[in-house]
Amino acid sequence: MSRLAQSAFVPAVRREARPAGSDSPDEICPVCKSSRYLNPNLRFLVNPECYHKMCASCVDRIFSHGPAQCPIAGCTRTLRKPRFREQTFEDLKVEREVDIRRKVAAVFNRREDEFEDTRAYNDYLNDVEDITFNLINGIDLEDTERKFADYERAHADEIKENAELESQEQSSYRVLQKKEREQIRLRREAARREEEEDKRLVEENRREQLRRLAAGQDASVVEKDGQQVQLKRRMDRRAAEERQRQLHARDAPPTPVTNGATPFIKGLKQRKGKEAEPPVDAFDGIRYKHQYYSLQDDYTYSFLDNAKKDARILAGGYNVHEYNERALADAFAGLGVFIADEVTERAKLSHDIEVPTEMAATEAQDVKMEDPV
Amino acid sequence: MKFFIEDLPILFPYPRIYPEQYAYMCDLKRTLDAGGHCVLEMPSGTGKTVSLLSLIVAYQQHYPEHRKLIYCSRTMSEIEKALAELKALMKYRADQLGEVEEFRGLGLTSRKNLCLHPSVKREKSGSVVDSRCRSLTAGFVKEKKERGEDVDLCIYHDNLDLLEPHNLIPAGVWTLDGMLRYGEEQKQCPYFTARRMMPFCNVIIYSYHYLLDPKIAERVSRELSKDCIVVFDEAHNIDNVCIESLSIDLTEDSLRKAARGAANLEREITQLKETDADKLQNEYAKLVEGLREADEARDEGAFMSNPALPDDLLKEAVPGNIRRAEHFTAFLKRFIEYLKTRMKVLHVISETPPSFLQHLKELTFIERKPLRFCAERLTSLVRTLELTNIEDYQPLQEVATFATLAATYDTGFLLILEPFESETATVPNPVLHFTCLDAAIAIKPVFDRFSSVIITSGTISPLEMYPKMLGFTTVVQESYSMTLARRSFLPMIVTRGSDQGTISSGFQTRNDPSNVRNYGALLVEFSKLTPDGIVVFFPSYLYMESIISMWQGMGILDQVWKSKLILVETPDSQETSLALETYRTACSNGRGAILLCVARGKVSEGIDFDHHYGRTVLCIGVPFQYTESRILKARLEFLRETYRIRENDFLSFDAMRHCAQCLGRVLRGKDDYGIMVMADRRFAKKKTQLPKWISSALMEADANMSVDQAVATAKRFLKTMSKPFPIRMQEGISTWSYGDLMQHQEKLGAERDREMRMAGAYEEGYEGVHGDQVMQEAQHAEDMIDDDMDDAMLGMDV
Repeated sequence: MSRLAQSAFVPAVRREARPAGSDSPDEICPVCKSSRYLNPNLRFLVNPECYHKMCASCVDRIFSHGPAQCPIAGCTRTLRKPRFREQTFEDLKVEREVDIRRKVAAVFNRREDEFEDTRAYNDYLNDVEDITFNLINGIDLEDTERKFADYERAHADEIKENAELESQEQSSYRVLQKKEREQIRLRREAARREEEEDKRLVEENRREQLRRLAAGQDASVVEKDGQQVQLKRRMDRRAAEERQRQLHARDAPPTPVTNGATPFIKGLKQRKGKEAEPPVDAFDGIRYKHQYYSLQDDYTYSFLDNAKKDARILAGGYNVHEYNERALADAFAGLGVFIADEVTERAKLSHDIEVPTEMAATEAQDVKMEDPV
Repeated sequence: MKFFIEDLPILFPYPRIYPEQYAYMCDLKRTLDAGGHCVLEMPSGTGKTVSLLSLIVAYQQHYPEHRKLIYCSRTMSEIEKALAELKALMKYRADQLGEVEEFRGLGLTSRKNLCLHPSVKREKSGSVVDSRCRSLTAGFVKEKKERGEDVDLCIYHDNLDLLEPHNLIPAGVWTLDGMLRYGEEQKQCPYFTARRMMPFCNVIIYSYHYLLDPKIAERVSRELSKDCIVVFDEAHNIDNVCIESLSIDLTEDSLRKAARGAANLEREITQLKETDADKLQNEYAKLVEGLREADEARDEGAFMSNPALPDDLLKEAVPGNIRRAEHFTAFLKRFIEYLKTRMKVLHVISETPPSFLQHLKELTFIERKPLRFCAERLTSLVRTLELTNIEDYQPLQEVATFATLAATYDTGFLLILEPFESETATVPNPVLHFTCLDAAIAIKPVFDRFSSVIITSGTISPLEMYPKMLGFTTVVQESYSMTLARRSFLPMIVTRGSDQGTISSGFQTRNDPSNVRNYGALLVEFSKLTPDGIVVFFPSYLYMESIISMWQGMGILDQVWKSKLILVETPDSQETSLALETYRTACSNGRGAILLCVARGKVSEGIDFDHHYGRTVLCIGVPFQYTESRILKARLEFLRETYRIRENDFLSFDAMRHCAQCLGRVLRGKDDYGIMVMADRRFAKKKTQLPKWISSALMEADANMSVDQAVATAKRFLKTMSKPFPIRMQEGISTWSYGDLMQHQEKLGAERDREMRMAGAYEEGYEGVHGDQVMQEAQHAEDMIDDDMDDAMLGMDV
């Protein structure tokens, strides 16, 4: 049963797959004319420059010494070896289309929630599809490519941001999936254990009954007891099941993923990071407020007029406003302070503090004495 | 016979009624009054259909709401039977009431069965008939004709337009044959007559699929109102029907065809662009607006419809990237290529739809949303292109449906890719199973929409399994036993051979010679003692073949041959029907015969072995499903996780319902008799899972027998059966005349009164089990025993 693991298909497993386009046994490499019939291990590679198919040995032979021209007649592209790869799709046109789509999708990655309504989003999708379609089929290639590049340049930031979101979503989805798989495995195991336990109990009960019968006890009593034991166990199990169900219900996410709902749990901190951080507050919330005067924007001092305009002074960061503020603060500093009051206050305070410290000291000593170690 | 259930007058077309029929009707009425769903099990051959119809028709005619009845059955023959019953019932009603009621009852079946067009009806395959019919009847074909183009039209279909749309066929009950005949006379198409008259019918009788398969239901059964009464008869397999209607299998071949279909579409689009670009532009504009033509769904000729889409989604506009026709075909092509690539993998994969979508997106940049609209977009495109050769696009449609389903449902479905046909095969022949695991998905719209759904069958035990699996709650859940004046069928469980060795079809012992010999001895003995026909059921074709060849080697078949002819069911339906015919002849002319068949085959469902066609049914082995199948395993797992149904419970339930179905084949009425033998050690523990009517007749002493004991009991049983049993002996016990029924009702009434009185003495607000109905009765009873009540109340107050 457990063989039926919900193994997700990972592209890396492709090694086990039949190579794409290997349906006909007498496939021939267009370059060296070797066929699969003679060489069953023939592997075909394509280069996303021109999508011409050739066998792996030809690729080795021609491109090992650096870039070379495509050996297919009529193709003038220069190919490099590292870019050769196995084709994913049987149809090379689709292969190419997907490559183009990859490029487009990396740039046009706006999300539905960026749009005001579905209509706008759909229009956007339509436009993107138009561009993609043009790129694929080579309609107005220059124009489209220019549009494409313009968009990329204009929205570089947004593109990056959305790509980040996308990858975040994917990773969170992967985590979720992993967790789910783990849960399924656990549940399966639990069910198996339960079943085994059941079997064991039944067997035990039977053996117990036999033992008692062998010991010469009354058959009807033994049978009744056995039934009771079994009934009790069944009730226990039911209760346990109920418990498990409740547990399960609690585990389940508050909004069950139902038909049509988006299954991807969006990373919760998605948009939060974008909010501007609050400014650092060095004084921890204490604000200096001037109560005795109000600061004007501008004061007329003849000797400061120069400083307001002179580039030599301003360049250093001198700010007349700052000067005003400071001058006023100096002038009014100490106006709200009454020394006599403060002195008496301090005297009282110091007295209050002394007493508890004494007490604390004695207490500490007591503890110390009681301490056996 | 005319009688009342509470205030409802019922006309029953026979002079006598069975007690269980009466009980069945009472429970039905209770369900209809309460407005909920119910599960009812009534033994086969006790007139389930007629009691159902007579009650519901009476209900319709008596109450002002005139709730429509939708009666769904499984096979053509059952549909025809039900129509005939209905016709007889209505005739009886007309005789009794002295007037013909304004009443319409119609049956609907596929185009293939109802076509009258001289050339189309000769086609063999149903899908070809469908598509040819569409090409002659679709709306755009007619428009073309009006524009003066030279196109063929179906005259039968056209004639319908000349008639009043709500009166295409006179009132009355029309059997399928009757419809065909009337259609031929009036030169009108029976299929479209039935389809268009559905809103004006009192009773509609058709196959499950018209209601359960979301692809069809959306089109056919859309306009049925909420208060319809829906009946699923022979519903013991309903969960499988639900699952099959949403499961899709894709092979490499079908993908290739789908790819060809997509290429054809592309060609059509370029053609249309050159000739009539406006049409595509119009479609595009409509899609942009997110408008759906109001009459689209009503379009009878539509190519396909949406498989079970949530309503909110249907209102949404098609995503922008598949709005243009050429974008959509490119999209389809990409999707098909992707599937092809997946098929190349050489190991088994099972994955959930979300993980499939994830991978799909990584590889081909197909998002979930456009995928979900795939089916709908394809329909719209096909309509715009006005394609007529629709059968070529069937594989493409399948792919589109698959896409839509996979993108719509996250749970309840599983993709299983099996690269090899069997474990030992070396040449890959991949199949992509997209299996539905949850029967509740397909049937949910039915339960949501209709207030009363009645699920009934001869064998639907254990009853509580069905509400659990299908996700609904019941008002009434009842199993009736069969009232019999004498014990007319003998169920037995044989667990040991004459040599006291246990017999079982379990995997470890199934091919042991001693086991096989014991089974053989059982067959030989019963072939000697049974008159006329014997039906033997095996768990699978494979086991049947191996056991028959072993019997041949042991000389057992030679012994059987002396007393009976041996016939075998094969997977081929024509061979089987030939075997059946021979079997019937042999039974009728006294030679006697044995039919060896399979518990899940064609014979086990729907073919009756009444009277001398089946006097003994032998069930050799418990008919478990093939448990190594990946699809079954996935479903079991799903059932455990979602509905808390344990694997073994489900397997055993499934085996026993098939077993009960097999056993029920032999007894088709009260004057019939037969022996039912379950030959497997494991049956001894499973007897509680048999339907009530069988298990109540199964004596404790007969539940654990050896072959020789079984033979002795069977002989004794057949001797009692051979005594003449005049029909009047049954009266009052297993059949009631009007007088008996009145007596019964009086007795019940008296009992209820007593209960009332007692309950009244306890407390005023008497709350019964049956909610509304009991309250209603209480009201009624209160009027009668008002005085007593008052006294009692006074006494209590003081």
